[in-house]
Amino acid sequence: MFDAAMAVVKPEMKSYIWLQTVDGSIQQVEEEVAMFCPMICQEVLQTGLGSSKTYAISLPQRVNPAMLGLILDYCRFHQVPGHSNKERKTFDEKFIRMDTKKLCELTSAADSLQLKPLVDLTSRALARIIEGKTPEEIRETFHLPDDLTEEEKLEPLRNITDDPRIRLLNRLYARKRKELKERKKLKDVEVEEEPKDERSVEDLLSFINGADGGMSYIKGTRANKNKKKNRRRKDHAKDISSENTNENDKELNPLPSAYHDVNFDNALEASASKHSRTQNLPAINFSPKFEFIDGDVDDDLDPAMKEELDREVEDFARRLNSDWPERMQILSLGQDRRLVPISMNSNGSTHLYTGFDQR
Amino acid sequence: MDDAMGPDLISDLPQSIIESILVQLPIRDAVRTSILSSKWRYKWASITRLVFDDKCVPFSNDREVVEKSVVKFITRVLFLRQGPIHKFQITNSKLQSCPEIDQWILFLSRNDIKELVMELGEGEFFRIPSSLFNCGKLTRLDLSRCEFDPPHSFKGFVCLRSLNLHQVLISPDAIESLISRCPLLESLSLSYFDNLALTICAPNLKYLYLEGEFKDICLEDTPLLVEITIAMYMTDDIAEHFEQISNCNFVKFLGGVPNLEKLVGLIYFTKYLSIGIDFVHPPMMYNNLETIELYQVNFEDMVEILVILRLITSSPNLKELQISGSSNIPVSVDTPDLDFWEKECLSDSTLNKLKTVKLSEMGGWLHEIEIIKYLLGHSPVLETLSIIPCVFDVENNLKMLIELVKCQRASTRAEVIFTRQ
Repeated sequence: MFDAAMAVVKPEMKSYIWLQTVDGSIQQVEEEVAMFCPMICQEVLQTGLGSSKTYAISLPQRVNPAMLGLILDYCRFHQVPGHSNKERKTFDEKFIRMDTKKLCELTSAADSLQLKPLVDLTSRALARIIEGKTPEEIRETFHLPDDLTEEEKLEPLRNITDDPRIRLLNRLYARKRKELKERKKLKDVEVEEEPKDERSVEDLLSFINGADGGMSYIKGTRANKNKKKNRRRKDHAKDISSENTNENDKELNPLPSAYHDVNFDNALEASASKHSRTQNLPAINFSPKFEFIDGDVDDDLDPAMKEELDREVEDFARRLNSDWPERMQILSLGQDRRLVPISMNSNGSTHLYTGFDQR
Repeated sequence: MDDAMGPDLISDLPQSIIESILVQLPIRDAVRTSILSSKWRYKWASITRLVFDDKCVPFSNDREVVEKSVVKFITRVLFLRQGPIHKFQITNSKLQSCPEIDQWILFLSRNDIKELVMELGEGEFFRIPSSLFNCGKLTRLDLSRCEFDPPHSFKGFVCLRSLNLHQVLISPDAIESLISRCPLLESLSLSYFDNLALTICAPNLKYLYLEGEFKDICLEDTPLLVEITIAMYMTDDIAEHFEQISNCNFVKFLGGVPNLEKLVGLIYFTKYLSIGIDFVHPPMMYNNLETIELYQVNFEDMVEILVILRLITSSPNLKELQISGSSNIPVSVDTPDLDFWEKECLSDSTLNKLKTVKLSEMGGWLHEIEIIKYLLGHSPVLETLSIIPCVFDVENNLKMLIELVKCQRASTRAEVIFTRQ
């Protein structure tokens, strides 16, 4: 089919293929050069397009004229069978010397044209750029937003839990936190507002929760204070980890029974373990600190509260440490996988309990 | 913040590209990308190739500290990952056999592992757990310093293409049955085996590398072999065994490899091939054999020379030849038999494609000079003949040079390069 189309072209002329980029501009390219790109080759063979200006092949959106030029340069060199491996390597080394932005665009364009050798070459170049740099340097090079909180950076890498209930819960927490912020600004008396909020959240939560798993629900009288302390956690908690202990006490307790979900357990464990073992983390290059004081703290949090929170968090860490062997044992026996909730009891010390250990 | 710097250049590239970038980073850097930005938080978690080398944890002089942190790191990475794992490699000299490895292999066996490379440090040999034998998708297995004991019910790795066992404790039967039960096996490498008499049945095998104390090597069913490299060490047992062999090793070993392209023999390989050789036996032609490298050849042993000649004359398309003598030969008082070089079959043959010859560790023995004469006289397209003599014997070198100058050359382009060390 292709041959027939080409027969229209005068024999002494070189064969050309017409390509149209997303901005509308059309150019013609020598056939053997263009056919080096699998995507173009496929288009030509399957649809017969590209033989004339009116029937130019539309290139994918990620290929702008500048990138097309570069790609064609690459193809033009490499489609010649005569070059030695050394020559090709030298060409490649010179070819990828360009600024990072162009390199990223080129990778994207090459990928959309399915030109794997060029994708490999550019990815290797990008990897070399990333390697050995500090996170700040990498962010600067690639214009990445520094939108992780201090806490998220220090937190362990957690399992992603795709459980929709957890996502909903996270959204609730986010909302809750926002409310706390506002409240703080207005300096209202928290106690009065509490009941209102609780009710709405509770409604939602009991809807989520469904059956009662037998978890007792402990109201912390100091919940409000804790919530305030925790509002410096700006992020959306993706799981219920130890830092959010104080805030989570109310919302969390009725839930656990519904979550017979190992991931959740693991996530918690992972995060918990990370915190309990903050000292032994040489491998991954986080510098875990328990004192979140230094980072991103809200300035309006008064020092007394800060101290108390820190103390509580440390308490919790110690608690975690001591509970760890017991919990490991329980979990390794494959027992009923209830969520291990973290709660506040009335005297303010945090403790961890499993379904077996209800106080 | 985004606007001040410009748009994000990289986070929105397709995951396949991100993955190919992350995979080319050392594992530590790859994991560290999780703190770059919210989009990058879990991009590392789905890379399918994990390589843990000596640099994956910070250096420390205390081996146990490093081992502990390596174990922790690997366990955490495995734990926090998502998705299948296609390649898992540990080449860490500080990590020795430890119980966590069993768990990792179990985990990998449940995650479609395809390539497994384990080179642990010096120390106790690690005992391969049975879960390895359940890795049905394994295409590449590289093990170093392990005990490998397949269960009786083991049916082989049906997808395995590459097997590399280095210093592995495995019974000879188990090895042979493992090889024969991996029908797709293309590349086999066995090193540091003791006293092994090996029979290889691998119909798809293309690359063979053997190094160790082999009593006997029989290539029973390897018609597709393209490249062979053998290094045979000698022990008293094996020497005795060599005395007792009656059949022709040359035919037995090279009889079934018509597609051979490259042959490399080291240490006692030429000696092994020389056992039972005769010149009467009609040679098989190796039309694809282009490169022959033989090291530690004993030039005073005529039979070994015979091996070389037979190989050369059976390879009409030979392009490159490398022969290295053995500098440990005791000086022999007998005058070598030079009649053999007058044989007709030799004088008629031409090496029509031979371009490069490299002779090293030449001690100036008569047979060496004769071989050089032969090569120079029968290679019409020869371009380079380089000779590197043994360091010690200056007198011999001089003799050699004098003889070389006399040699007739079939190729006008031949350059003879004599390199003094």
